[in-house]
Amino acid sequence: MSAVEVGRHQPTAQLTRRRRLLDALDERLGLKGLQYPIPEHANKLAYSLGGLTLITFVLMVATGVYLTQFYNPEPTVAHASVRRIITSVSFGTFVRGFHYWGAMAMIVLIGLHLLRVFVSGSFKRPREANWIVGVVLAGITATLFFTGTVLKWDQESLEALEHNIEIGKLLGRFGFWLSPSFGGIPFLTRVYVVHVAVLPFLFTLVVAVHLLLVKRHGMAPSPFRKGPEPEPTRPFTKHLAELGALALVLIGVLAILAVLAPPPHGHVPIEGIEVTKPPWPMLWVYPIEDWVGVAGILWATVAIFLALFIVPFVDRGPERSPRKRLPVMIVAGLVVATVVALIVYAAVQPVASHIGMG
Amino acid sequence: MRRRRRGLATALPMIGVIAATMALAEPALAHEGEEDIPAFTSVQEAIAILAAHPGGIPEATDKVHDALDARDQQGVNVSLVQSASAALEQGQSEQAEILLERSIGVCPGQPLVSPASIPRSPLPLDSPCPASPHLTALSSEPIGGVAEPVLLAAAAVMILSGLALARRIR
Repeated sequence: MSAVEVGRHQPTAQLTRRRRLLDALDERLGLKGLQYPIPEHANKLAYSLGGLTLITFVLMVATGVYLTQFYNPEPTVAHASVRRIITSVSFGTFVRGFHYWGAMAMIVLIGLHLLRVFVSGSFKRPREANWIVGVVLAGITATLFFTGTVLKWDQESLEALEHNIEIGKLLGRFGFWLSPSFGGIPFLTRVYVVHVAVLPFLFTLVVAVHLLLVKRHGMAPSPFRKGPEPEPTRPFTKHLAELGALALVLIGVLAILAVLAPPPHGHVPIEGIEVTKPPWPMLWVYPIEDWVGVAGILWATVAIFLALFIVPFVDRGPERSPRKRLPVMIVAGLVVATVVALIVYAAVQPVASHIGMG
Repeated sequence: MRRRRRGLATALPMIGVIAATMALAEPALAHEGEEDIPAFTSVQEAIAILAAHPGGIPEATDKVHDALDARDQQGVNVSLVQSASAALEQGQSEQAEILLERSIGVCPGQPLVSPASIPRSPLPLDSPCPASPHLTALSSEPIGGVAEPVLLAAAAVMILSGLALARRIR
């Protein structure tokens, strides 16, 4: 056999070997079940935001596991253990930076995903329940972000926790968990347990329900598609492959941010004073707190999530195109614009003391 | 005569009441029994005196001595209280106040709270307690060294290969 013939035959042999391997795996794992058809528009970036959020969550778990090897949730040493991660642990600054920027990315991605689902009307019948499940996931993500900011245990963290305690008081009996006197371990340690165990477990559980419902109902049709002919389909495995490619880009961007903009860490916290502002995803409640006191945080958060929960019950018509749902789109646009305006306003206003305002 | 007797009859019980009051008040005047007051409370009182009246060194010194004599010295760094006592003897009220505040785990200018509820690591004694500018100042450490360009290069490769793959899959 000539060299040319060998070259010609080798790919076929390799292909056969690869196919045999895939067949063997499929026989045992049912991988071909993932090749179900999904509409072509599902491969657009806007329709990959949910998947990217899930990938970011996995990255958070991986980097979080590394950080837990060095972080000490005992209040007297928590700050020092973070400093040790930054100064002495191999790749500590990088992994912490990756975790920090990943958390920011997760908040942005889940926010954009919610917005995309809202604008494209993908929450409409029969997908109302999955919208609510998605809002729950957004709530868990926000809580993961908040508890994460507390764990670094600098002045900003302590002030965040003090606000939480005040909110617990406003909730009366229902706020027992937010009381520092509850339980037999320090509040910070309890927050740590929630951050590393309870919330990730809940997120995994709820995201499983979310994915099952996506599979059950299929991808929602695109509201922007014109013409009577059916939309072409692609196998779901192709969507997974594209998600993998986008994940590589995401990891690269997060790594660059972790190297070039390592997250800051403040001083050892001092109780009873307010000299910091919350990080930007929580900054929108800061002016509200300024105007009505700590209770404003509670009511504003409840109002936003309540508004999100009732979306499928308010916007019930079959029309998915945003152009044909103008009143709802205008209200949603106003809400988003208000939140953005509040963030900008809070960023420029001076720091104020709120605890004790009621 | 009757008037003088009536005057004596009125005066004697009054003298008795005053004498009894003085007798009862005597231990307090002599600082007896003050070792029952927890040292933490006495230190708080000494700080309050110095904070309100920087010239009140004698009164603050009394409270510092009470703290040193107290049976219950829980939550108080006694050696720092001794240093505060020495500072007071030298008339350094500001230094004494800082040392007293450190002795119960708080910093100058901060509200006094139970040390058990202060969730933070102990401060090094040779550094000043953090004021607002310290607390809002944030620091970050660059990765530096060889790792930095290596990580950046790896990240760039990932981004480029991700973009190329995404294009190819479409």
